[in-house]
Amino acid sequence: MKFTLQRLGLLVVALAVVSVLIFAAIRVLPGDVAAVMAGMNASPARIAALRAELGLDEPLVVQYLSWLKGVVTGDFGTSMLTGQPIAAIVAGRAAVTFPLILLGLAIALVLGISLGCAAVLARRCWVRSLLQAIAVVGGAVPALWAGLLLILLLGSGTGVLSVLPTQGFPQDGWASPGRALTCLVLPALTVGIIVGASIMRYTRSALLDVETNGDVIALAMACGMTRRRAMVTVGLRLATPQLVSVVGLTFAEMITGVMVVENLFALPGIGTGLVTDIGQRDLIAVQGELLMLAAFFLVVGFAVDVAHRTLDPRLERAA
Amino acid sequence: MTKKNNGTTVNGMTLDPTLAGRLKGPKSGVPKRWVAVLVIVAFIAAFLVAWIVPKSQAEQPTRQDSVTIGLKLAPTNLDIRGTAGSALDQLLIGNVYEGLVARDESNGVKPALAKSWTVSDDGLTYTFSLNRDATFSNGDKLTAADAVWSIQTLVDNQYHDYDQLRNFKSVSAPDDYTVVIALSEPYPDLLWALTGRAGLVFDSKVESNAATATDMKTSALGSGPYAVASFNENDSVVLKANPDYWGESKAQTATVVVRYFTDDNAAVNALSSGDVQVLAPISSSLATTFENNPAYIVQAGDGTDKYVLGMNNAADKATGDIRVRQAIRYAIDHEQLIASRGGTDKLLGGPIPSLDPGYEDLTGLYPYDLDKAKELLEEAGYDENNPLKLTLTYANTYGTEIGDQLRSQLKKANIDLTVNVVEFSTWLQQVYTDKDYDLSIVDHNESHDFSNYANPDYYFNYTGDHAADVQQLTAQALSSASESDSETLLARAARLVSEDAVCDWLFNYRVTTAMAAGVSGFPVNMNQTVMPLYDVVYVA
Repeated sequence: MKFTLQRLGLLVVALAVVSVLIFAAIRVLPGDVAAVMAGMNASPARIAALRAELGLDEPLVVQYLSWLKGVVTGDFGTSMLTGQPIAAIVAGRAAVTFPLILLGLAIALVLGISLGCAAVLARRCWVRSLLQAIAVVGGAVPALWAGLLLILLLGSGTGVLSVLPTQGFPQDGWASPGRALTCLVLPALTVGIIVGASIMRYTRSALLDVETNGDVIALAMACGMTRRRAMVTVGLRLATPQLVSVVGLTFAEMITGVMVVENLFALPGIGTGLVTDIGQRDLIAVQGELLMLAAFFLVVGFAVDVAHRTLDPRLERAA
Repeated sequence: MTKKNNGTTVNGMTLDPTLAGRLKGPKSGVPKRWVAVLVIVAFIAAFLVAWIVPKSQAEQPTRQDSVTIGLKLAPTNLDIRGTAGSALDQLLIGNVYEGLVARDESNGVKPALAKSWTVSDDGLTYTFSLNRDATFSNGDKLTAADAVWSIQTLVDNQYHDYDQLRNFKSVSAPDDYTVVIALSEPYPDLLWALTGRAGLVFDSKVESNAATATDMKTSALGSGPYAVASFNENDSVVLKANPDYWGESKAQTATVVVRYFTDDNAAVNALSSGDVQVLAPISSSLATTFENNPAYIVQAGDGTDKYVLGMNNAADKATGDIRVRQAIRYAIDHEQLIASRGGTDKLLGGPIPSLDPGYEDLTGLYPYDLDKAKELLEEAGYDENNPLKLTLTYANTYGTEIGDQLRSQLKKANIDLTVNVVEFSTWLQQVYTDKDYDLSIVDHNESHDFSNYANPDYYFNYTGDHAADVQQLTAQALSSASESDSETLLARAARLVSEDAVCDWLFNYRVTTAMAAGVSGFPVNMNQTVMPLYDVVYVA
């Protein structure tokens, strides 16, 4: 309990620091949202008027404090450009990105863990080497390329087997769940294959780690299990904490990491949105989005820490 | 390991429930062949279904009630009065909002809300008579009061493009269907200016009252053939036909969806999978995949996009020396530049493109001539051992190829070019506002924009030899009562600007549009700024 509270405290401090960094960093960038809004033919007077309207002429400390006040009360403000509340914009984009990540992660876990186990346990040596090679090559493939290959293979219109939509998301979002889901299949496969390859390598090395460090597997085999059975039941259980950290961090990274994939499949997700907003210097929007991302990252880290404790009681005793 | 092992042993057999459970189970070592067979059968079935289903749908071609159009540059919001960017003009003008007058396919002026107009002999008074049955999509009648309110608030609140109404004095409505615009001095471009944002008419009964005013960032209330049904910023817009549209240009298709693609591959996939029926623009290299396919139509249209190699004419810059600027113009092989982009663009020798008033073919002024370029540079003090070092700064929207190509072309004339590709907003600050640059590339897509060269504060810093003449000629042209006089004056000024090598005009970009074969009525010319959609029909 004390541990959990400690971690929560750290989380709050980290968020405060991050909020200052975010606020400062995007103001150091050259460029001005008022100039973007007013366009190339605008007079300096018009730009100045827009800046005043947007509150950009106030001292930085005042701007920061009023933003922080909003954030603490749950109001992330409205976008300077679109005029819509940031929370609603992010929610709309998250409705694309999160299902994509979850689907991708599910594919990655199924592929990664099963193939990772197989890479340790396969009877024949050449199968193990082949699986190991697949893991290395799969991890090195750029998402863009994998996506293009999948489109050529399965995309409707262009593919050898033209079955799946290659771009876009339904106008009405999840109101038409069937179409929304099919739109996510190819992108999720792309993400799943690449992330799956890295999870495969982690699974493999975690399993080997359990076997070579300590006598657990030997003990289980002494109790009558085959090596394979001991690895799958005991070894995997002991490797779980390691895998949970990897999966947790992968999950957080994927939110912006899937940006390339979102772009390729023209999905209106968090990553593409963030890049557009930064490009247009929509300060309020970028601040809000980055802070939410940072918060999410920190919360996932926190959850992983806590999960570690519950999964591996030895840690508690050590502390 | 908190669980206690409470198993006991009887006759060598364990009674530990977990271990006993494992012992009882039959060995599952035999591979289940039927699972593998099932998987293979499922795969083959999926293949066959995918193969057969599309082929069985061969039906008589019918007119579709929805067309999807793929574009590139997305508007961030719908506020056509407060936000810059041609994406808004393209989407809304002529489709959702209408002006007093409209632009035709060759950049001329045609009637819209005003069915006719007269100009007084002194060029100071424009009298428009409005169509009597015009209505907004909410049913409100559109009268002269709406036009007066729209133009008056544009000028008073300095909404976007208010400065297009040069020499504006007043706007008034002598009766319900007559609008009079009075100028303080003649302005031959007024009608053309009114085809853009400056001439749009909004519903004053709704918009003038803060309680009923629409949120222009997320919705649009106009008198056009279409109304905005939904808007997802940076992604898509759904336009629904206004069934009670007042005019003759009634929408031919009930629903038009406009989708925006940042990724060119995604856009091409969308066209080939049938998710969009029109793609504009498409790069010439990607268009080749559709060109030889009878299921598609590929067309290039004229436009006023000028790809300008901007040069900093300020005296403290190397490019402040006219010999350097001339050398750069001689050193660029424009034909090769165009050929490498697919060959659809047109040569452009000066600041005015062929669709704008004052056009004259100036491509002969600075033909490709490396020797002359080297000679001029030597005069200016640069040679092989002391090459001229310049930085080219431009926005990443134009891709890296064009910069690389210029670098290799200029290298042959002993110019070392450092290419610096930045974000658009960084470019806007550094180059456009702070004028801290040597060379830059911009697609100046605005039409009728020559007056920028007469502005000494514009980012070219043009204050050179003939700048004063150019300013005077432009001022005369823009306050001349006769359009033909105005064109002659502009042509003279444009020649001076080109001779002074204020910039280099790389090419006149022509937009390429790719469509499914059943599409008709989509505008091919200038569709990145004016894109009337009422006539678009898709038969499949």
